[in-house]
Amino acid sequence: MAKAELKIIGSSPARMGGVDRVVGRGVYGIDLMLKDQLHGAILRSQYAHAKIVSIDTSEARKIPGVHAVVTAEDAPNVRYGRSYIDRHILARGKVRFMGDPVAAVAAESPAIARQALKKIKVVYEPLPVVIDPEEAIKADAPTLHDDMPLPKTIPADAGLKNICGHTVVHIGDAEKAMAEADLVVDEVYETKMIHPQYLEPRIAAAQMEPNGRLTVWANAQAPFPVRQEVAKTLGLPLNNVRVISAGLGGGFGGKGSGITSGAAVEPICGLLALKAKRPVMIVLDKAEETISTTIRSAAKMYIKTGVKKDGTIVARTGKVFYDAGGYSGFGVQAGGRCTNMLGGWYLMPNCHIEGYTVYTNKQVCGPVRGPGGPQAAFAVESHMDSIAAKLGMDPTEFRLKNIPKAGDKIVGVPKLRDVSLGETIRIAKEKIGWGKVKLEKNQGMGIATGSWIESAGPGGGSIIKVNEDGSVTVHIGKIDMGTVPGFGIPMIVAEELGIPVSDVTVVNVDTDASPWDAGTVGSRGILVSGGASRLAAIDARTQLFKMAARKLEASPDDLEIVDKQIRVKGTPAKSVPLATVATDAHNVIGEVIGRGYCDNLELMAEEKAHGSSQPFTTHACIVEVSPDTGNVKILKYVAVHDIGQPIHLAAVEGQIEGAAAMSIGQALCEQVVFDKNGRTLNPSFVDYLMPTINMMPRIETTLVHGYPGSGPYGAKGAGEIACVPPMACIANAIFNATGVRINKLPLSPENVLRGLKEAGKA
Amino acid sequence: MSLTVNTTINGQAVSASAEASTSLLEFLRDTLEMKGSKLCCNTGECGACTVIYNGKPINSCVTMAADANGAEIITIEGLADGDKLHPVQQAFIDTGAVQCGYCTPGYIISVKALLDRTTKPTAEDIEEAVSGNICRCTGYNKIVDAIHLAADRIAGRA
Repeated sequence: MAKAELKIIGSSPARMGGVDRVVGRGVYGIDLMLKDQLHGAILRSQYAHAKIVSIDTSEARKIPGVHAVVTAEDAPNVRYGRSYIDRHILARGKVRFMGDPVAAVAAESPAIARQALKKIKVVYEPLPVVIDPEEAIKADAPTLHDDMPLPKTIPADAGLKNICGHTVVHIGDAEKAMAEADLVVDEVYETKMIHPQYLEPRIAAAQMEPNGRLTVWANAQAPFPVRQEVAKTLGLPLNNVRVISAGLGGGFGGKGSGITSGAAVEPICGLLALKAKRPVMIVLDKAEETISTTIRSAAKMYIKTGVKKDGTIVARTGKVFYDAGGYSGFGVQAGGRCTNMLGGWYLMPNCHIEGYTVYTNKQVCGPVRGPGGPQAAFAVESHMDSIAAKLGMDPTEFRLKNIPKAGDKIVGVPKLRDVSLGETIRIAKEKIGWGKVKLEKNQGMGIATGSWIESAGPGGGSIIKVNEDGSVTVHIGKIDMGTVPGFGIPMIVAEELGIPVSDVTVVNVDTDASPWDAGTVGSRGILVSGGASRLAAIDARTQLFKMAARKLEASPDDLEIVDKQIRVKGTPAKSVPLATVATDAHNVIGEVIGRGYCDNLELMAEEKAHGSSQPFTTHACIVEVSPDTGNVKILKYVAVHDIGQPIHLAAVEGQIEGAAAMSIGQALCEQVVFDKNGRTLNPSFVDYLMPTINMMPRIETTLVHGYPGSGPYGAKGAGEIACVPPMACIANAIFNATGVRINKLPLSPENVLRGLKEAGKA
Repeated sequence: MSLTVNTTINGQAVSASAEASTSLLEFLRDTLEMKGSKLCCNTGECGACTVIYNGKPINSCVTMAADANGAEIITIEGLADGDKLHPVQQAFIDTGAVQCGYCTPGYIISVKALLDRTTKPTAEDIEEAVSGNICRCTGYNKIVDAIHLAADRIAGRA
C-alpha cells in the first residue's frame, strides 16, 4: 500500500486498553488474586560474596500458617543463563551478590511469610568481595565462579580471571594510523549502574492444575523464554508449563531477559506452589527489587582517537570493562554491544577495541533499554566534543566531516542503506539555535548523536481471527507495557482490513495460545509483531475477498474494504458487509484466520543486499550550571530522530521522550551506590533519585522523514535509541558552559562542583 | 490487633475490619479489593497510590487505614460517572499520556485535586501538584499536555 493511501498509519488514535487504565481497573500483574493463594517471600543474601555453610529451615517450618520453605536442595540441580549457564534459581553453596536468592517461603499472609524468613538460619563463610571490574580481572582477585571457563579468545596464560565476555573489534591497522595522526586524544569515561525502576514491582504467581500442569503468571517482557527456563529449572516437560502474561506497569528491558530479570522469581514461585500444593503469589518489595533484579550496567571505557588537522578521523583504539554482576545475565551481549559502539557510528577506517564483560559481586546485568549503547555513547560523543575542542573545530562541523553516506560501513555494520545522521545534526542545530542563541553567563549548549541496531534477531508471528461481527482478535507474542501491542498493532490491522482501530483486540500473551516470540525487547515490537500482523491482516483480507468475490460475482483482485464493507472498486454500490462474509465463513472454512511472520532470514538477506537502514538521532540542549552549587538545569532540549515511518505518532514521541528522560536521569542523578562490601546504599525510592517533573525540560521532538526502515510501511524501532545521546549531550553543554569536561557520571551537583573546583573555576 | 474502619469511599459508606498496622493502600487493595490505586515504592515517594483524603491528595501507602475513620476518600474508581470519564481521565487518553499506565491513577487523582483548585494552572502550580508523581514512561511531556487539555475542557476553553 503506497504511503499516500494510508488512512490510519501515522495518526494517534486512543490506546487500546486506555479506559481500563484511567478508571483503575486491575490490569496489571500486581492486581492478580488467585483463589486460596499463599503469599511467597524470598530470603536474600546479606553478603556480597560468601560460602553457604548451612541452611536450617526447621524453625521457619514450625510457624503456623507456613506451607512451604524451599532452598536449592528442593529444586533440581540445574543451572540457567544466557551465554554462560552459571546460575541456580536459589543459591547453591555460594552467594555472589547481596540480594542473591537463598531460600523462599509460602505462607497464609505476607506478615507470616516475612516472619518465617527471619527464622531461616543461614551460616555463611564470608569471602573477599570485588566490585570493580578492572580489579576483578586481575589474577589476585577473588574467584566468583570456579567452574566457568574464560572465553576462548583469552589465552589461559594471560593471568586474567572472572571474564565471561570478550569482544574484539578490529578494522585496518589502528596502531599505524594512530602514529601518523596529527592529533591523538586519549580519554577515559565511566558510567554507573542504574536500575530501570519500572513502577510496577515484579510479581509471579503460580498454581498446579489438577492435570499436573503448572500455570505461571508473570509480568515479564518475554513470556516464552520464561516458560522455557521455568520448565528447565523445575525439571518439568515444556508442555506442562503455561505462562500467562499479566499486564506490565513498565519494563524498559529490566523485565526482558527470561527468568534472569526477576532473579528467578517465576521458578521460585513455581517451586513453592509445587511444594505447598496451593497457588502462590510473590510480589517483590521495591527496595528488594533495586538490589536483586537486573540493571543497566556500569561501564568503564578507555577511548583514544587519532585525527588529521582537517578533522578527518583516522583511527580509534579502546578498552571496555563492562560489569556483568555476580552472574553473566545479559552482560555478554550488552558488553559486546558497548564495545562495538565505542567504535562510533562515523567513518572509522582503523579501529581496535577490546571489551571485557566481568563478573563482580553486584547484581546482574539485564538488557535495559539500549543495552550497552547509552554507556558507549557517553564516551564516544563526549570524546568527539573533546577532539573538536582540541582541533579548534565546531563540534557539529567535526561530526559532519566524518559522517558515513549510503553504502559506507561503520563499526559493526558492513553496509548502510541510507544515512539520516547528517540531517538529524543539521535539524538539531537549527532547532536549538546553534551559533545563534545568545547564551548568558554560566550557560552552555551541547550536542550529541546516536544510533541503534535494526533488523537482525529472532523472528515472530501473528495470528488474526476475524469474528462474525467483523471485529478481529490478534494473537502475537509481545506484551503491552505501553508499547506496540496497545498502540501500533491495532492500527496496522485496522489499516489493512478497513475497520476501525477500536474493532481490533490484541490478546495478552498466553504461551498455550500465542505465537512464540523472544519478547518485547530490542526495539523489535514494530519490526517483528508489526510486520507479522500486517502480513496476517493481508492474509485474512485475501481469504475474505475470495469468499466475497463469489457473492459479488467479481474478481477478488477488484475488491477493497472500506468502512467494514467489502466492495467492488469503482462500484461502491456493489458491496457486502465484512460481518456477513465473516459469518458466512462458518459454513465454508469455519473462520477466517490470517497468519503472518517476521522472517528474520529475509530481513538479513535484505540487509545484506541493500544495507542496514538503522536509525540515527541527534539531541541538543542548553544548560545553566551554578558555579556555587554545581547544579545543572536544562533550559531547552531538542531530540531529532529518524525512526522511519511512525505508526502511532504519539506513541513514537512518547517512546522517544521517555527514553530520553531515562538517560537524562542517568546523566543528572541516577545511580545505584555500593559500599566496598557490595552493599547497596540507596535501595529505596527515598534515596534512589529519579527525574520528577520539576527536573525535566520539555523534550522537543522532531521526526525526520524520508529514510524508510525495514519494518511495516518503512517503520523503525523507536523504544531505545533516544536513550543513547542524552548523557553526552548534557556533559557537552556543561563543557561549553564551564570549559570543564566531566568524564564520570552522574553529572550531579557534587561531581560538577568537584570538577569546577579541580579546574579552579569554583 | 484488628480494628474496624468506618469511612466513605467515593461517596459510599464503607465499614470493614483491618489489622492495626494496615496502610490505607493495603485496606483499599487487599481488604476492599479495589485495585485501582497502585502499589509501588511503599515509602510515599512515587505517588502511584495517591488518593484524595478530605479534599487533599495523599499517598495512601504511608497513611494508616485507621486514619480513614470518618474521612471522605476519593479513589480513581470514583472519578468516572458511569461510562462518562472525568475530563482528566479523558485528557490522559486523548493526549497519549497513558503509556504503561501504572502511574496514571495516582497522576489523575493529583491532577484532579489541582484542577479542583484552579482551572488555569501555571507551570509552577503543575510542578507543585505533581512533583510527587513519578512517571517512568513519558518523560512528562504528554502528561503536561493532558493537564492543560483537561483544564481547558473543564473551564470550557476547549
